[in-house]
Amino acid sequence: MHLGETASVDKQLELLQGTLDMLILKAVSLGPLHGYGILLRIQQISKDRLEIQQGSLYPALYRLEHQGWIASEWGESENNRKAKYYRLTAAGKRKLQTEAEKWNRMADVISGILQSTPEEV
Amino acid sequence: MEPHGGRHLGDSAKHAGGSVRFLSRVRSWMRAVTRRSRMEREMDAELRFHIEAFAEDLVRRGVLREEALRRARIEFGGVERAKEECREARGVNFLESLIQDARFGLRMLRKNPGFTSVAVLTLALGIAVNTAVFTAFDALVLRPRPVKDPDSLVAVFRTTPGDARGRFSYPDYIYFRDRSKSFSDLSLFAFGMALTSSDLPPTGPEARSRLAGAVGFQLPQLLQGSAQPVVAVFVSGNYFQMLGAVPLRGRLLVPADDQLGSSPVVLMSGNFWQRQFHSDPKVVGSVLHLNGEPFTVVGVTPVDYMGTLPNVPSLWAPVAAKVHVGGLAAENLENRLLIAGMPAGRLKPGVSLSDAQAELDVLAAQLRIAHPEDEKNTGVLLLPDRNDVAMLGPEEWALVGAAMSAVGLLLLIACANVASLLLARAAVRHKEIAVRLAIGASRGRLLRQLLTESILIALFAGAAGLPLAAWLLHLLIVEIASALPSAWGTIALQVSPDVRIFSYALLVSCAAGIAFGLAPALQASKPDVNSALKAEGTLFGRRLSRLRLRGLLIAGQMAACLVLLISSTLLLRGSQRALEIDAGFESRHVVCLEIINPANLRYPQARMLQVSRDLIRGIAGVPGVRSVAQASRDPVGGIRWVPVAPVGAAASTSITQETQTTGAGYSYVTPNYFETLSIPILRGRVFTPSEAEGQAPVVVISEATARRFWPEENPIGKHLKIGLEKGTMFYPGEKDPFIPSSEVIGVARDVRSMDLRRIDESYVYLPLSQSRQWTRILLARTEADPRQLLPAFGHEVQRVDASLPVVGAPLYTMISMDPFFVVSRVGGLLASIVGALGLLLACMGVYGMVSYTVAQRTHEIGIRMALGARGTQVLKLIAHEGLRPILAGMLIGIVASAGVSRLLAAMLFGLNLLDAFSFFGVSLLLGGVALVATLLPARRATKVDPMVALRYE
Repeated sequence: MHLGETASVDKQLELLQGTLDMLILKAVSLGPLHGYGILLRIQQISKDRLEIQQGSLYPALYRLEHQGWIASEWGESENNRKAKYYRLTAAGKRKLQTEAEKWNRMADVISGILQSTPEEV
Repeated sequence: MEPHGGRHLGDSAKHAGGSVRFLSRVRSWMRAVTRRSRMEREMDAELRFHIEAFAEDLVRRGVLREEALRRARIEFGGVERAKEECREARGVNFLESLIQDARFGLRMLRKNPGFTSVAVLTLALGIAVNTAVFTAFDALVLRPRPVKDPDSLVAVFRTTPGDARGRFSYPDYIYFRDRSKSFSDLSLFAFGMALTSSDLPPTGPEARSRLAGAVGFQLPQLLQGSAQPVVAVFVSGNYFQMLGAVPLRGRLLVPADDQLGSSPVVLMSGNFWQRQFHSDPKVVGSVLHLNGEPFTVVGVTPVDYMGTLPNVPSLWAPVAAKVHVGGLAAENLENRLLIAGMPAGRLKPGVSLSDAQAELDVLAAQLRIAHPEDEKNTGVLLLPDRNDVAMLGPEEWALVGAAMSAVGLLLLIACANVASLLLARAAVRHKEIAVRLAIGASRGRLLRQLLTESILIALFAGAAGLPLAAWLLHLLIVEIASALPSAWGTIALQVSPDVRIFSYALLVSCAAGIAFGLAPALQASKPDVNSALKAEGTLFGRRLSRLRLRGLLIAGQMAACLVLLISSTLLLRGSQRALEIDAGFESRHVVCLEIINPANLRYPQARMLQVSRDLIRGIAGVPGVRSVAQASRDPVGGIRWVPVAPVGAAASTSITQETQTTGAGYSYVTPNYFETLSIPILRGRVFTPSEAEGQAPVVVISEATARRFWPEENPIGKHLKIGLEKGTMFYPGEKDPFIPSSEVIGVARDVRSMDLRRIDESYVYLPLSQSRQWTRILLARTEADPRQLLPAFGHEVQRVDASLPVVGAPLYTMISMDPFFVVSRVGGLLASIVGALGLLLACMGVYGMVSYTVAQRTHEIGIRMALGARGTQVLKLIAHEGLRPILAGMLIGIVASAGVSRLLAAMLFGLNLLDAFSFFGVSLLLGGVALVATLLPARRATKVDPMVALRYE
């Protein structure tokens, strides 16, 4: 998101589709949000290091809702405007957990491979 | 800033673990489908909210509202695309968009009625012809027999090493019928026979159809005889019971009717009853004399009922009745060598074909043990009898393949035609498509929509093609059916609508739709957005790929059309040549007289001999007759084999019944046979009258026989063993000869009597004793045109014996009636029709393309003419470009035709595979027509007024 502020020193990493799903679930797990709010929260908790295409957010939300990980409801935003809020379902919570575990395991394996020295082979 | 949640939160839903996703998916899908518009509104509102919220953030940072909104929108990206993907995520997309596409497509088609109607009609023609051919194939072969439960019907064959589909003798049939436990019924079809009856009401002259005239059908005329021929088929008593048939009138045959002692009964077919007896209800119960024996007509089978037969017979009779009419001697029912018929059975419920086969194998083994004198390695083969598929040999399948290929080519030409129409239209819709691509439609979506349009056209064409096909088929059947004599039985094609036919038509339509729609759609949806949005699309270089595609289509059409035309011309010319084949004997000045089923007359041998002698004398006495010969077989009919082997010499090949290749065709002939038919004797001599009378063991062999057994030597004086001691299986009335040692006294030139396509492999002529044998066949050599003498012959027959049914025809006519030739002539005719249709379509395609090119390039032409080009130069330019793909296509077509002609070699009867007339002449024709189709619209180009053209867009 380019708000006119300078991006952080690290180059913004590009996001894979699967991880976007995971991040959305995480963002929503901290409390129900509308689409824009989810975007802001992800930016916030990633400390601006992730680049998210705005256009890909909503299809992801719809997909996650279709699969039952999140549920939606119309409500009022802070400006008293109608907005659609998304919250995590119980199943979504479990899904988030398993995805996070998978991710951590994968990260361990990859980093282990990358750190292996010639003597260990 | 912190986003905080809304004030209203729903209850958390409680879902079971694994079914959550499925359930929620279904729910979400259903919600989306049923409340689509609401969902659309909500989605719209949601995305708008997002953009506005973002804009507000920007405003808060000091950006102007207008600017903030603009940046927010840009940052978001394509709203429509996002919406598309959201819809897709919901899972409604496919059905929804399909319906949307269909509706849009229908609208587009409606807006262009000219284009739509031309496309639909062109394609309908191609689909109709295809469907018609398939329907005929289906009705003849694929369709299950119109009997109860055809899937449990089984045909039983006797296998010997030389014959995998052999027939059964009567005792063997009884053996299996009584002992087998696998069948609920095992019935026998014991062939048919031409009987004579004096009880038939007179019928009018047979109507001649146009088709009959076109292919030159001429049948032997009935010369004389008060009795009329009628064909009856013989079936065992349990036949109708096995098939679950229901009578139209009266009752059907039962096993009690099939005993030697029971009173003779017969059934009429509904067709025969209507045609001969005008549906007179009094016929049931009345007496019909067949071959002089009284038969009671006990019932009528339904109209067009065929049972397991390929056509509808006139009469159905029990097998035992064959004895009554003299077609079978009672004791021959016990004869295990006499060929009786073909059994068919119905499997008991729960019994599979393999079970039954296993059981019959065991029974066959037991039979062999009980009769060790039988041929070795005799077995039994069971095949499903649901339809006629099993009866097709490789030749028939080749014919089917050829027919389907031909109409397939026609369909391809039609598709190419419609494809070029689509391409032309795509150029017109260039801008519309470009705009749609620009606002975010995905290429795949666009492609799908264009394809949907094509499939819609194809479906309409299919719907129009079905009734057209029905009409075509009806026309064809009526023509063919009326061309055949009623005595041959009626061909009843069950051409009623059928799931198979509909699905075939549907399949063909969809395939066609994709075939002609894909390339243009791919072309049209190419994301060349910029050039389309800029000004006109008449720039010279830009349309190169579209031009190439159209050129390809034209070339393809020309090639396919040429293949069709050349093949059909080859077939036609080949079938013409067939009639000119030198059979090796004189056929134009010989009349073949045949006594129809003399057994029907029940004359004792002595009387028959006398009648025969008187007849010969009478015929010989007719002015204009040079000689009269007798033969046991007519020179162009059937095949009768007998095993032969040289006596003494290299007896390394022991004759067994298995190896039919050591057999030879044979017939008994009078000494003047060779002279009557002008068959030269190359070596030696013919029988003397005394040798013939005494049936001396002498034989005249054909060249091929001599070459086979004594290749380098003089065969005169050598000896042949003809036949086998224990006899071979034979048809009623035709016991094979057996001569242990027969001296070769002459060698006759080879003829083609068994199969006009080939010289007889081996043939032997045995002496006929006129005092001991009489024959059905008389051959009369005439000086002048034999047809003029036919009435005189009839007079003679009448004089000798008024009740003798005799047919006569010039031998030449009989040759031309050989089924193989008839098929090739009819095939050639039909192929030409398809070829002509192809020509029409291809030329329409060429004309259309050139017209369109001219219209498109009016602007360019105007420029050229304004710059000084003359009319003829412009004409040459257009024509030149139009002719290039045409010539290329024709070249490909010629090469392909050369390949096809090789495949058709069997049907060409010696016509040169690269026959100049067919190839050169037809190419010239096609080229000429294509040239005209090119020049006509090209001429319009020269009439272009440069001023108008320059302003044309």
